[in-house]
Amino acid sequence: MPKKPDLLIILDILALILILTALVVIFVFTPIEAIMGSVQKVFYFHVSSAWAGMVCFILGAVGGTGYLLTRRIRWDWLSSAAIEVGLIFSIIAILSGMIWARPIWNTWWVWDPRLTTTAIMTLIYGAYFILRTGLNTSEARARLGAVYAILAVLTVPLTFFSIRLFRTIHPVVIATGSETGSAFSMSPRMLTALLLSLLTFTILLTVLVWHRYRLAQLQSEINPEAA
Amino acid sequence: MKALHNYLHVLWQVVRKDIQVEWRGRQGLPVMLVFALMIVFLFNFALQLSPELQAGLTSGLLWVSLAFASTLGLNRSISLERESSALDGLLMAPVARSAIFFGKALGNFGFTTLVGLLLLPLFSLFYGQNLLKPSLVLVMLLGLGAYTSLGTLLSSLSIQSRTRDILLPVLLYPLALPILIAAVEASRGVLSGQALGDQRSWLYLLLAGLLLFNAAGLLFFETILEE
Amino acid sequence: MPTKTVQHPLQIHIQGLMKRYHRQPVLNQLSFTIASGNFCLLVGDNGAGKTTLLRILAGLVRPSQGEITCCGSLPGVDTEIRRLIGYVGHKPMLYQDLTALENLCHYAELYQIHNTKVKVSQAIQSFGLTAHQDQPVRTLSRGMQQRLSLARATLHNPVILLLDEPYTGLDQQAARLLDETLQNWHSQDRIILLAAHRPQRLLSIASHVAWLKEGYISTHVPVAELSTTPSLRRYLQEVA
Repeated sequence: MPKKPDLLIILDILALILILTALVVIFVFTPIEAIMGSVQKVFYFHVSSAWAGMVCFILGAVGGTGYLLTRRIRWDWLSSAAIEVGLIFSIIAILSGMIWARPIWNTWWVWDPRLTTTAIMTLIYGAYFILRTGLNTSEARARLGAVYAILAVLTVPLTFFSIRLFRTIHPVVIATGSETGSAFSMSPRMLTALLLSLLTFTILLTVLVWHRYRLAQLQSEINPEAA
Repeated sequence: MKALHNYLHVLWQVVRKDIQVEWRGRQGLPVMLVFALMIVFLFNFALQLSPELQAGLTSGLLWVSLAFASTLGLNRSISLERESSALDGLLMAPVARSAIFFGKALGNFGFTTLVGLLLLPLFSLFYGQNLLKPSLVLVMLLGLGAYTSLGTLLSSLSIQSRTRDILLPVLLYPLALPILIAAVEASRGVLSGQALGDQRSWLYLLLAGLLLFNAAGLLFFETILEE
Repeated sequence: MPTKTVQHPLQIHIQGLMKRYHRQPVLNQLSFTIASGNFCLLVGDNGAGKTTLLRILAGLVRPSQGEITCCGSLPGVDTEIRRLIGYVGHKPMLYQDLTALENLCHYAELYQIHNTKVKVSQAIQSFGLTAHQDQPVRTLSRGMQQRLSLARATLHNPVILLLDEPYTGLDQQAARLLDETLQNWHSQDRIILLAAHRPQRLLSIASHVAWLKEGYISTHVPVAELSTTPSLRRYLQEVA
């Protein structure tokens, strides 16, 4: 087992501090949204989890590409670690979205493009682990997992675009052109809180993926063919 | 030039052989067709469709039954190759291995389209609505083209897992979702009397899927099958 | 198609071959050369890596490391070189719903052989399959399927023939027929590499024996010089 790198220790602590700071900023220094009320505060971590999930899935595809090019198993550790963490973030994004939707849209679930895309993405990446479980060698898991991870990322824009075309009621945070109608306007302090949350989650996902990667490394040292 | 000729020759030989096997065994097409019809009947009773409701749901029913039925064909097509390792024989052919992918995909596309074309008059009969429109056939060709190329690629993944044929739907349906949405919507538009030009965005989406999944086949098929 | 003009001399050359399924190597630093005209028996315990080695040579498995060349190029990469190779694996690689004739025609088309009809009927005849040519493979006995499999592997007149335990499941008569076929097929400008768990019966017709042990070829000698390697001789007696 290689020694825990200093940078990882620093990032661990940084992640903890940032989460606490972000919570304080969100609950103390950020105004309560005029129409939605305090439930709007879910929004900061909701958007950040969705962002973190997406970054993880892209990282998964990057790891997959790395594996196919080099055939080094450590790329697969990265790929599967990132996808596992991404799956958790997506589920958090869906759950927090539901908490927000209940009072605002008056229902737990809406078939809105982003929510649905995230849900489909969760299914797609859930299937990734089902695929891996059924394969016998770590080589096959890495190779086929890599192909699937790349294929999955490529279809996400298609999924998003198709559901978007299908219907749209999700508030567009960063408004573009005709979509301004459903955007809500953020005060500068809200924007700061959002940016801080995004940074926090980016550090958090890095830390989690890194830890999961080290776990995969350790697993393979104990039993190369398992997991 | 000669390499291209060899490539196309092997591609066509794969298709021809699949037709031959189907002709001998008759185990794919009839099963798919009967299964598709069973789904139609099941939905009819499960959802208690009234004539007014049916009109709007025809396109959805058509695609759901096709999507489910073609899974059977896709599994059959790949397990045929796996039985007594015939696939190894194909892989040893002196051409780039993507020829095998395109051959298998073309065969799957052909059989599924045949089932689709047979369903059209039957649907017209059941739902008192004319489905025999050239524009609907075009949507079907594009949609099934994209769907079966993705299906062919994923079936070569799933066949290597211990769970085999059970795994294919789990991998295929979430990834194929944008294709199915686009196909259903374009068909619905066409059936409600809109011009094909109004479905442009959906058709582009189908085309994008078709290109993307075939490019993925070209790129990954060999990687998937080479141990 | 007549066999490709071979610029390189016919030989299989393997240098430092590794096949790892991650940590555990199946083949480890295997180096080995088979020259034209050799009929080499690959012996070794179950799980020694015989199948993996043959599948790598057939271009079906990707080596983790090392160089393998069949007549100068790698069968997994150079598509044309695959024309030179015939492979009989554990399974017959046939379509069970098609007839013997249809299966052979299919393979003939994959290799784009000239005069398909003539070549296929020759193959059917020489492997004694005439009576069964229109039967679906599913209905053929194991011995018949194995003959058909051999006919398939040699249909495109390959110069390298790889066989993986071809005697498994054959009765006495079929085994004798296989002996004869191999003897007839063996010539100065061809290579046969045959993996066998129990190679005793083949020692009279093969030219070399290679012993695959712990992932590499530990001994490689002509059959005539077997007496100089007591350990291999003892091993062959043990498995007999």
